[in-house]
Amino acid sequence: MTSTRIFFVGGLMSYRALFGWMNPWIFIPSLLVSPVCQILLFAYIGRSAGVGDDEFYVIGNALNYAAIPCMFAMTFTIGGERFAQTLGLVLATPARRIPLFLGRSLPVILNGWFVAMFGVVVGSLLLDAHIPGSAWPLIALVVAVGSLASTGLGLVMGALNLVYRDGATMGNVLFLVLLIFTGTNVALDDLPGWMAAIGRCLPLSHAIEATRMLGDGATWGAVQGLVGTEALIGLAYVAVGLATIRLFEHLSRAGATLDQI
Amino acid sequence: MTAAVEARDLRRTFTTRSGALRRTRKEVEAVKGVSFEIAPGELFGLLGPNGAGKTTTIKMLITLLIPSSGSAHVLGHDVVTDLREVRRRIGYVFGGDRGLYERLSGLDNLRYFSELYGVAPREQKKRIGELLELVGLTGREGERVEGYSRGMRQRLHIARGLLHDPDVFFLDEPSIGIDPVGARELRATIAGLRDQGKTVLLTTHYMFEADELCDRIAVIRSGEIVAEGTPTQLKGLVSAGRVLEVETYGISDDAVEAVRGIGGVRTVVVEDRGQVQVLVVSCESGAEVTQPALARLDGTRVGRVSHRDPTLEDAYVELVTR
Repeated sequence: MTSTRIFFVGGLMSYRALFGWMNPWIFIPSLLVSPVCQILLFAYIGRSAGVGDDEFYVIGNALNYAAIPCMFAMTFTIGGERFAQTLGLVLATPARRIPLFLGRSLPVILNGWFVAMFGVVVGSLLLDAHIPGSAWPLIALVVAVGSLASTGLGLVMGALNLVYRDGATMGNVLFLVLLIFTGTNVALDDLPGWMAAIGRCLPLSHAIEATRMLGDGATWGAVQGLVGTEALIGLAYVAVGLATIRLFEHLSRAGATLDQI
Repeated sequence: MTAAVEARDLRRTFTTRSGALRRTRKEVEAVKGVSFEIAPGELFGLLGPNGAGKTTTIKMLITLLIPSSGSAHVLGHDVVTDLREVRRRIGYVFGGDRGLYERLSGLDNLRYFSELYGVAPREQKKRIGELLELVGLTGREGERVEGYSRGMRQRLHIARGLLHDPDVFFLDEPSIGIDPVGARELRATIAGLRDQGKTVLLTTHYMFEADELCDRIAVIRSGEIVAEGTPTQLKGLVSAGRVLEVETYGISDDAVEAVRGIGGVRTVVVEDRGQVQVLVVSCESGAEVTQPALARLDGTRVGRVSHRDPTLEDAYVELVTR
């Protein structure tokens, strides 16, 4: 019961505590306007270069932008606590770590899903990209799986903050890595082999591919393998994140790293 | 009877690294073999100057730091291996502004930590209400913490630390930066904890606070305990002597050193009180130091000269400056 409450109630309260500063004046420009700008930028580059179609760029960039809330927010759930000096107090409680940190990921996944879906919907409307009405429920599901996978990567990055105080800066680099390696604007098949191989191990690659197929009218049967792979990759990152938290919490106690802010 | 807190030869070394290309490594021994025991229901003070190792010692006891060597137990549980058992039984409060969720109300801060400590949902409301009453925040609990004064934050910290009704309470400089009225209320709250039978380890810089509250005190200097006893016993370390206080204006370091060299003088400390520097000279019983001291202050403008009995602060100063 305690762990269940920590997962649901604690996760939500922690999100409110750490993201109380996220008012509409910050949320709308940074998480709604920015992804639409990114979609428009790459769609018009694609148009002027005569490669790809608008739907390709709408879906790729909308899903790619889910990485911003998912990775950065998940990182901040640990790094932000460290800076506010509440992390030591949280870690000094007997709360089990898995529900404690996984509970924090639920609102983050929801946030990432909303940002990506907003991008797909608004991008499609602005560029007049046609996505069949029947595809939307499955697209919503695939975007949720992609958001989960990105959040798993965020959990790994957050764990780094237990030992490295500047771990959050890695997020900027990783976002660019995802932009290039996940087939956001250049399909994996068109990337050099080694880049495609890396991309297939990253979150979002399979979700982007599956969503594009759904946008082109594919059935669930055609994409379920991709979605399953995306989910497995996400769960693998979550598992690595939790293991890293366990290891780095021990290292933080051994190395007194939480005292450095 | 099992000690509530037991530290045996606790040591903690920190390693710092600097330089980007040529990394240099430096080791600092913050705690050098600290041992003490706190009996259940006892209010134990750990006094020492900044950097003496008080907070490091507490962090080892509350499981946030692993000792480099030595051992520590809280209510019989090892602080390195029985983490959850220790954490269930302890409360921890540190001084200062931070450590609270600024954007949440005081009530939500308490609700969140209630969840983390596993306080049953049906008990939460009652427990939080009692604690808000105890720390005098009833009526202000719905406001965001970012609007709280430092004293209110500190009291909220205390309430947070007590949510799960811990048996042992660690208070690390809880009254730092609080105004006199707030500090007095805080002392009353801490005294109330002792009356409830809680075991408390308190660190503070304020000697009158330790004198008023603590059953026993350990003085820590440069990572080592240099004295331990009741406040009366510690005062007794210097009670055989007297304290001479001389108000001066613009005293030089040379003059202080000259006074320090007088026979029968144990310690000399200069306290800045606005425009005045008060020379506090602790001397041995029977030693006549007033005239020699005034002679060495020749050329320094001198104000009031007085004698008094030693206080706990005098004992502390003597212990940490030996």
